[in-house]
Amino acid sequence: MRYCLSLILLFLMLVLWAGPEVCPAAGPAADGTVSSAPAAAAVEETKQDAFEEEYTEDEDDADDPFADKPVTIADPIEPFNRAMHTVNDKMYFWLLKPVARGYKVVVPEPARLSVKNFFFHLHYPTRLVSCLLQTDFAGAATETGRFFINTVWGIGGLLDPAGGGELLLKKQDTDLGQTLGVYGVGHGFYIVWPFFGPSSPRDSADILGNQALYPLSFLNIWYVSIITKSVETVNKTSLRLGDYEAVVEASIDPYIAIRNGYIQYRMKEVEERRARSLCFRKMDRDAPRPEAAQPEE
Amino acid sequence: MFGPPQTISRTDGGLNTAIGYRYVEDTLVSHADYVLRQNQIYSQAAYGRAGLWEIYGRLGVTDFKIFDAFRSASALTSTSKIHFDENWKFFGTLGAKAFYPVTAFFGAGVFAQASYNFSNFTDDVTGVTGTTPYMVDLKLRHVWDVNFGAALQATVPGGLRLYAGPYAYYRRADGDLSAAVFGLQGAMRDVSFKNKSAAGAFFGADIPLFKGFRLNIEGQYTDRFSCGSAVTYTY
Repeated sequence: MRYCLSLILLFLMLVLWAGPEVCPAAGPAADGTVSSAPAAAAVEETKQDAFEEEYTEDEDDADDPFADKPVTIADPIEPFNRAMHTVNDKMYFWLLKPVARGYKVVVPEPARLSVKNFFFHLHYPTRLVSCLLQTDFAGAATETGRFFINTVWGIGGLLDPAGGGELLLKKQDTDLGQTLGVYGVGHGFYIVWPFFGPSSPRDSADILGNQALYPLSFLNIWYVSIITKSVETVNKTSLRLGDYEAVVEASIDPYIAIRNGYIQYRMKEVEERRARSLCFRKMDRDAPRPEAAQPEE
Repeated sequence: MFGPPQTISRTDGGLNTAIGYRYVEDTLVSHADYVLRQNQIYSQAAYGRAGLWEIYGRLGVTDFKIFDAFRSASALTSTSKIHFDENWKFFGTLGAKAFYPVTAFFGAGVFAQASYNFSNFTDDVTGVTGTTPYMVDLKLRHVWDVNFGAALQATVPGGLRLYAGPYAYYRRADGDLSAAVFGLQGAMRDVSFKNKSAAGAFFGADIPLFKGFRLNIEGQYTDRFSCGSAVTYTY
């Protein structure tokens, strides 16, 4: 109990510390997190300058309306994050990957997909609450329909009849971190959790929320959640073997690559969720648009 | 529930699943004739191919009631109740069916199906025999049944399938009373129930609904009438 309270307090402190979601790569961090950590800010600034110098020839891209807006995130605890990244990396290559490879040999792919469906099915409460909080009532109804159909005709969620055939009820792959993002809560800063991987104070809400809304966490047998989480992780990894290796091999600094990939991926997800939100979609539409820059005569 | 003799799975092979309810009545024979009543709710998964064959499995829950199982045959013995009644317990069913299409709209099929209850059904009764009070429980173990049948099927325009045919079956429930009581179950401890009839007939309709769902309604008649309904989904 005391452990849980400490975690919640830590999380609240981190959220309060956190500012707007992202900051442009070319500009200073707008959330104040950098100024609160001068050493980290200096390192960040140096990296930013180096980045800008290196890519000055790409300035023409700024006029390209189709170019992706570069995004980054404050990383004041980079030494800790890099250490955790290394821990997770070693854990992946030394433990998770060999186990997942063995599991892949023993369990055929259809069965692994069914296991994946089943665990996804169990996270229905998280997705339902997230959709409701995001005022995405169509998404909540779709999720509830999916849950009912997959429970009854999908053998308790092992199969996904709702997502295929003529039904085509789309998965609402959302979480509580995205919900906070929809409400305008910023990431704050980048943090790499041991076991859980890349995150931010805002997205860490999902770790806590998942614990509170995951049905198996209510079982009072301590080893059940460890076993189920392990099976879920190994099963998920067995279906994605090679993806992480590809990222690591293709990047000069895997830590930076994963950090950037993570933040861009999450930002895209939040934008998509915001576009589905009944409340925020309307607010975004009604919000006054910034005046377009007048061409100089 | 046996379902239509022809699988509803895709012709190139595929799954179909169902949720169903079945109301069962039958006459069982032990030391006398007893009426059995069950309500079954089940989930079914099946794999079929080419419209020719299918294997299926069910997992469900059922209650179990035997009327007059505790009725005393002696005026010297009184009982607190007369019916054996037990609540929901798990059962499993495995089955297979094969179909021969004579024409595009008409065909014949055969099937075999077996069910087994994983748990015992237990109920107790109190009373007085002579001047001695007693309390006994009747525990039914190994409750199972097997069914074999054949059916003709006609597919009418719109995809509605009508089917009917005869079937043979054997149902058994072995059990024992915790003590022999004069007037109860022939004053014997060993009690086993079997079906009175060996054969019956079934008929049903399989109705297409929407987006891969179908409704199956079926009636069975042996010594008594049973019926059931299931909603199936074809992957």
